[in-house]
Amino acid sequence: MGSAEERSDPGEKAVSPAFECRLVTVEFLHKFSRKRIIEDVSFLVRSGEFVTIVGPSGSGKTTLLRAMGGLTPPASGSVLVHGRELNGPPDDVVIVFQDYSNALLQWRTVAANVAFGIERTLDRKEIEQRVRDTLALVGLEKNAEDYPWQLSGGMQQRVQIARALALRPAVMLMDEPFAALDAMTKASMQDELLRVRDRTGTSFVFITHDIEEAVYLGDRIVVLKGSPGRIEQMLDIGLPAPRDQLSTRQLPKFLEYRYAVHQAIGREHE
Amino acid sequence: MRYTRPWQRYFKLGMTALPSARGLLPLIVLLGAWQLLQTGNSPYFPPPSDWWNGLMLLSRSGRLYPALMATTITLLLGLILAVAVGTGVGLFIGVFPRLGRAIGPLLEFLRAIPPPAIVPVAILFMGYDERMKLTVVVLAAIWPILLNTSSAAERVHPLLLDVARSFRLSAVERMRLIILPSVVPAILLGIRVALPIAIVVTLLVEILTSIEGIGALMIGAQRNFQSPQVYGLLVLIGLFGLFVNNIFAVFEAILLRRWPPKTQSENF
Amino acid sequence: MNMNKGGLIARINWPGAAVLVFVGLAWEAAVRSGLLEYEYLPAPSAIALGLSELAGEGILAPDITHTLISVVIGWTAATVLGISLGFLLGLSATARRYSLASIEVLRPMPGVAFAPVGLLLFGFSLKTEMVVTILPVLWPVLVNTMAGVIGVHQRLYDVGRTFRLGRRDTILRIILPAAMPLIIVGARIGLGLALILAVVAEMVGNPEGLGYGIVREQQALRPDLMFAYIVTVGFIGIVLNAGMLALAEALFPSFRQLQGGR
Repeated sequence: MGSAEERSDPGEKAVSPAFECRLVTVEFLHKFSRKRIIEDVSFLVRSGEFVTIVGPSGSGKTTLLRAMGGLTPPASGSVLVHGRELNGPPDDVVIVFQDYSNALLQWRTVAANVAFGIERTLDRKEIEQRVRDTLALVGLEKNAEDYPWQLSGGMQQRVQIARALALRPAVMLMDEPFAALDAMTKASMQDELLRVRDRTGTSFVFITHDIEEAVYLGDRIVVLKGSPGRIEQMLDIGLPAPRDQLSTRQLPKFLEYRYAVHQAIGREHE
Repeated sequence: MRYTRPWQRYFKLGMTALPSARGLLPLIVLLGAWQLLQTGNSPYFPPPSDWWNGLMLLSRSGRLYPALMATTITLLLGLILAVAVGTGVGLFIGVFPRLGRAIGPLLEFLRAIPPPAIVPVAILFMGYDERMKLTVVVLAAIWPILLNTSSAAERVHPLLLDVARSFRLSAVERMRLIILPSVVPAILLGIRVALPIAIVVTLLVEILTSIEGIGALMIGAQRNFQSPQVYGLLVLIGLFGLFVNNIFAVFEAILLRRWPPKTQSENF
Repeated sequence: MNMNKGGLIARINWPGAAVLVFVGLAWEAAVRSGLLEYEYLPAPSAIALGLSELAGEGILAPDITHTLISVVIGWTAATVLGISLGFLLGLSATARRYSLASIEVLRPMPGVAFAPVGLLLFGFSLKTEMVVTILPVLWPVLVNTMAGVIGVHQRLYDVGRTFRLGRRDTILRIILPAAMPLIIVGARIGLGLALILAVVAEMVGNPEGLGYGIVREQQALRPDLMFAYIVTVGFIGIVLNAGMLALAEALFPSFRQLQGGR
């Protein structure tokens, strides 16, 4: 079981990590007061790693994600992708949002949605091929000509994921993507996501308030807590792969990790 | 709370609905530029200062005020009648949905007739007099009110009707205590839609027939090539419409203060 | 689409249709039998005859054409202007602050009030009809376009940024399509309004077209022809509206679904 690491780990920088946050602090100016949302957040994401970020509501998880995605500039500290500092949304990083129905282009077909990020950069044949491949990856080949509003919540979220994957990003940032789904859909989506990671080698940063989900999916967990949000703890998850909804969740190690995260978050979180 | 008297609270309530005064800039710039650029006596585009003089002329000749009165009274009376009849019929139709469904297509057919087209019909049937003018205004204004009222009456939440039944309310009590209050916002919306229609029809009648009113003054001025008066009256009509709409908006806000707010589609 | 015969029959509003037919027949009977002796109330059959008379004499077609031309020109100009301005105002809060009050002041101006102005400037011509039509039609298009642009969900802007879209791409590929349902609504309202205004302009201003036809026949004491013109106007309104809806569906297949929800 992984013990709490130091806030930064300099020893692991032999290969430039896919993603890195260095002492990221984000503040918002509201009327005349400056509110600090997250403070001195530092961690690495290695290539192909699945990092989950957990924390109680209000701890700044979404803000951290937006900073990592280049949507919100940090007040201090820096975010680096492949060693290069961010200046706005970076090329290799895509965000998948929680409210899929607002994030999808409802007036476009599923295929057109998936093609959205690559329409201007690839030629027609490549686009068609990539759309087909990506839809197959998320199991939506049959729905290419449907409209998002005709699909269920889980399917719409898969469309959003496919749209992000079509870019072949190095890092996928996901903001509580399964929070709005029912338990069964959620479970199957979790497994699908892990399958996608295995097949594409993309790094994932996954925000959730569901501790079990965080432990189930993650190679590493970052616990964010407090106001302003700070890293409370980081845990390496040493659970075997491939993960299984039934057996993995029953492993004693799983329960230990779960307990540890609960402890780290403390009594504010039910 | 600094505002102690009710009228002060209502005033504040009304003012918050108004857009920023800085938005008047384009108009002011337009009028200002017009004033400055039109130094010669162009018959087609007289400067705004001439408009004012033209209006003053009309006012001093004693024709402005009676015309304004005539238009306003027709509008007011017409709306009151339209509300009275429209609400009554609307409630009746709404409360008996089978009747509503039967008359529905007929009403839809009548509603599809554009109000301006009613004017020549009325002139033909009733001649060139004040009674005709009032009738047309009522006929034009009644539809939005009637349709809104009937659809709202039909849509009174079934739960509320159950409440009425469980409290053993008589038909009259049910109408007075449950249906009518539920329907008030829709009635007001209907009036709000009917207002501009009523104004248009009133003016149209006056322009077509020269029956006393602002429209008659306007077409008269045009026939006499008194362009400053035409523009002046146009501004007057604009201000009149603005005034009427805003008075009604304030009235509506005050009346509806106790109702839950509805999402308004045109509120920026 | 599966529509069995039983379903179709059940969907027709039988009582409503019956009432319509009954009223029509009763009206016809009443006039013929002399029960309704209004000098100026023609029977439905007389109106139908009037229509064929007008069509036969070759008067109806040119009148319809004239009014339609007026509607199309006025509506197109107002729509182009309204969408452009509405877009600008939707995108810029500053632009709104410095113009909304003016719009609110000009909006309640009744179109018919512009008729004398139009007559003053252009006399009896199509341009007079334009003066009456353009401004009032501008407002619903502008206001609805503005609302459509303002209503674009923040999330869609986030998506635009995370996919690194430039300003031009964001407007063309996200904002415009997202605002389309409301833009179409505004254009539709404008179209109906343009027809009414063209007719009004023809009644009081330019003596041509369907509006003039109504007034002319009223003054000629030919109620059958007058009603024939009115029916024509109503019919054209229905056709224009249906045409607009069909066009919207063709250009923007999700229109109906996206119109309601936001």
